[in-house]
Amino acid sequence: MAQVKKYGFVIDPRRCIDCRACLVACRAENDVPLGATRIWVYDLGVQGTFPNVSQQFVPYNCMHCDDPPCVEVCPSQATYKREEDGIVVIDQQACIGCGLCLPACPYHARFIHPETGKADKCNACLQRVEQGESPACVATCIGGARLFGDLNDPHSEVSIALRNARRVTRLTAPGVDTGPNIYYINDEVDATKLAIHPPEMPAADTFYRRIVIPGVLAAAGLTFLGQAAAFARQLVKGESEYEE
Amino acid sequence: MADEIIQFTRRDFLKASGATLAALGLAGLGFNTASAAAPETGRLTYDKIVPTLCEMCVWRCGVRAKVKDGRVVKLEGNPFHPHSKGRLCARGQSGIMTAYDPDRIRFPLIRVGARGEGKFRRASWDEALDYTARRMLEIKEKYGPEAMIFSATHNLSQPVFENLLYAFGSPNYGTQRSLCFNAMVVANLLTYGIEEPGRNYNQVKYIILTGRNLLEAISTSETSDLVEAIAHGAHVVVLDPRFTKTASKAEWLPIKPGTDLAFHLALLNVIVSEGLYHREFIERNTVGFDELQAEVVKYTPEWAASITGIPAETIRRIARDFAAAAPHAMAHPGWRTSNFVNSFQTERAIAILNALIGNWEQPGGLVNGGGEGGGITLGKPPQPPYPRIRAQRLDGVPWKYPLVPLKLGVFQEIRDAILSGQPYQAHGWFIARQNPVLSLPERQKTIAALHQLDFIVTVSILPNDTEWYADVILPEASYLERYDPLLVLENRVFLRQPVIDPIGEGKSALWIYKQLGERLGLGEYFQYRDEVDYINQQLAPLGMDISALEHRGCWSPLLESPREVERSACFVPETLSFEPEAAVPQVREFKFNTPSGKIEIASETLRRAGQPAVPVWQAPPQPGPGEFYLLTGKVGQHTQFATQNNLWLHEVYPENELWIHPKPAAERGIVNGQKVRVISPVGEVVITAKVTEGIREDCVWMTQGFGHLSKGLKTAYGVGASDSDLHMTYTDPVSGGQALSQTFVRVEKDG
Repeated sequence: MAQVKKYGFVIDPRRCIDCRACLVACRAENDVPLGATRIWVYDLGVQGTFPNVSQQFVPYNCMHCDDPPCVEVCPSQATYKREEDGIVVIDQQACIGCGLCLPACPYHARFIHPETGKADKCNACLQRVEQGESPACVATCIGGARLFGDLNDPHSEVSIALRNARRVTRLTAPGVDTGPNIYYINDEVDATKLAIHPPEMPAADTFYRRIVIPGVLAAAGLTFLGQAAAFARQLVKGESEYEE
Repeated sequence: MADEIIQFTRRDFLKASGATLAALGLAGLGFNTASAAAPETGRLTYDKIVPTLCEMCVWRCGVRAKVKDGRVVKLEGNPFHPHSKGRLCARGQSGIMTAYDPDRIRFPLIRVGARGEGKFRRASWDEALDYTARRMLEIKEKYGPEAMIFSATHNLSQPVFENLLYAFGSPNYGTQRSLCFNAMVVANLLTYGIEEPGRNYNQVKYIILTGRNLLEAISTSETSDLVEAIAHGAHVVVLDPRFTKTASKAEWLPIKPGTDLAFHLALLNVIVSEGLYHREFIERNTVGFDELQAEVVKYTPEWAASITGIPAETIRRIARDFAAAAPHAMAHPGWRTSNFVNSFQTERAIAILNALIGNWEQPGGLVNGGGEGGGITLGKPPQPPYPRIRAQRLDGVPWKYPLVPLKLGVFQEIRDAILSGQPYQAHGWFIARQNPVLSLPERQKTIAALHQLDFIVTVSILPNDTEWYADVILPEASYLERYDPLLVLENRVFLRQPVIDPIGEGKSALWIYKQLGERLGLGEYFQYRDEVDYINQQLAPLGMDISALEHRGCWSPLLESPREVERSACFVPETLSFEPEAAVPQVREFKFNTPSGKIEIASETLRRAGQPAVPVWQAPPQPGPGEFYLLTGKVGQHTQFATQNNLWLHEVYPENELWIHPKPAAERGIVNGQKVRVISPVGEVVITAKVTEGIREDCVWMTQGFGHLSKGLKTAYGVGASDSDLHMTYTDPVSGGQALSQTFVRVEKDG
């Protein structure tokens, strides 16, 4: 359906000055705890030999992939890709904190929130996007390196930037193409520098250790009662509750 | 509570979110917040948006603060403010954690231990103000008002601060300026008759940045404009011994420190000798070109190459390309230009380079304005004239530094005058929002000076290093908690207004100075009831009151424009255009606020002061064998000496490092990430080495602001090292600027 939105980021590393305003804006907007982050600027370091040197800064966050392995591995269906716009989100009520999605993400874009014990990552500032605002990182980007919008809309800022770009790169590694929706324009970005890895999908024994045993313990004791209840509800109803 | 002794002690570094911090806070000790950030992960909501002004640096961006249940939860750049244009940098975004810093001073404190011991007791405002006034009056009676020094780093409440010191009758006014931009300001006053030419990035094609690291020393709108220009193909030349983030987007010339002057003299040589200057502009708008022509003959690119390390052909190419891009070309005047004692000459050469190509008031060139002040004149409360001041200034202006404007001053000289007792002995120091312990060179001397004084009072939101040595600390409300005098930008007025209630008993500068003024018997100089009344008196000539500004945070005649599109905002940001106009505007005759009314290529004022009237080469001192130039500068995540304790900024830039080239590092067995000892003639520090190809072999670099001494800063205390431990004190005799790159150090592996 042509009218369905496909949100994505377009990033021009030439314009990134590594000021990290985006990191702080994201922390404030999403109350990300100290010691964790949903967003990064990868500094490739000074390359070459004095005085012939160069340096590149590559901002990234969750790529909101077309084919997200985090969704595939999630045992409670807490992680899902929104049909209406393609944003990959985590239903905080449904997440059981098993952490299987962390190694599944080729981009290391997820972490376990130290206070909630649930998986956490960029949700493209859904709360802002639904109000017609840009994600916090995009809105504050001093160099205008970050753009966000509907890739299906040919008139959107992101579509125009992609059409006018000298070069477009999606960060994929050999054998890893999850259809990332961050498009790097103009500068060449070397995927090998970002340590992208193939998704690690859980083997049966991992699944047993991480999901079933904690589940049983939780049901037996009271420690993880809330999580277990949420998990059980998921199993019974087979549906997910959206984060509110 | 009143007698409780408060001792600053170090707490383990906190890795926790705002919610956890509140739980860990040491309630009652005065340095923690009442409550902290919303604990819910997920969707941010807010009840209201309050427009105000940022104070995380001096650029003063417009802010829209989102507030939920009385707590500020998110700061956004105001799209209708010319300095933010909708964006905030990392520091601006972190303003929330400046307000909610767990180490905030929550009530007035009076020292009970020995000076520098860090022991204070809680006092009421009445007691703290009465005590401060009594001590200040004692000094005044015994030694005269000049024995009391007043210093503050420039901010919106400066007019009220100046009122306090001039009404008190002291000539001794310190600012941060001589540690920063004296060379640039004095050079431009003498050349253009203005402190700082503005920059117009529209259509700019060629930019020379001399140590102006705009992508790390961030001024939001100008930094954005520079990135925009680069993305549209403007050629940028960066002169810097270090590969900065700005250099990474430009043609980097790793010039030998202290030789920027030689480079610019050679540019002048090429432009003059090859006839690349704008003859008509020079004839109509400048004086002294002939004298310059005669002087620069000897400064050939070959001559400069041997001094700067930059090939003659590169210098020649840049001169030609710069002139060819005229008038859409600019040599940036710079900002913190306190590098060498010859920096004043460098700044004069830069000012003249711009004049030669006639880029004044042209797209892509320099402009008059862009700074603060402008088309609107505000009112102010009535007051009697200030008492006549008879005493000399301790900083040597003008008796030792005749060309330095009074309001710039020579800050480092005040410290040295406390120590020498010459020309007379100072006894007290009133310090507002300033941290001379870390900002002045030779911190050992600064601390010795503080120990020599009878009375020190500071106004601050944090127990910073200078507070550590104070007798009284008056807690200020943070910029998100208070009103300040209005900000005027051309024909617009902007308001800083409270977004949240003050933490603890913090008060505005307007309130503090009025209360103190009344206790000093100077109430006539503070004729306003409260902050709002002060602002209303400012607005009276415009026929309005504060209610006209509260909703948008600003007022402009645009709001009354017949065109609806303009009525929506005080400022409508324009998109920069890089399509050159078909015709370059004709050369006009301008009027400059100089003695000749022209741009003064040759300055009679300088000549009369016994200085060269046109720029001349002055060789800087050089390091000896085995020594390095110690270079310092900013990073995009911190502002001077005030933000290292901010938990969000600490997260994105926790500690400073010493940049060193791999070759000298290897010779000394220094490994990346390991500790090194840096030794100058006046002190030594231990700091982590960053071994990088991005710096000359004869230089090391570190950012300032780390190495805090105050144990009241529980995040920043003892983290990294301070350049103030190493810097020697050298003052440019013309501009009064401290030469911050003229200290030479040895570096060795630690342990």
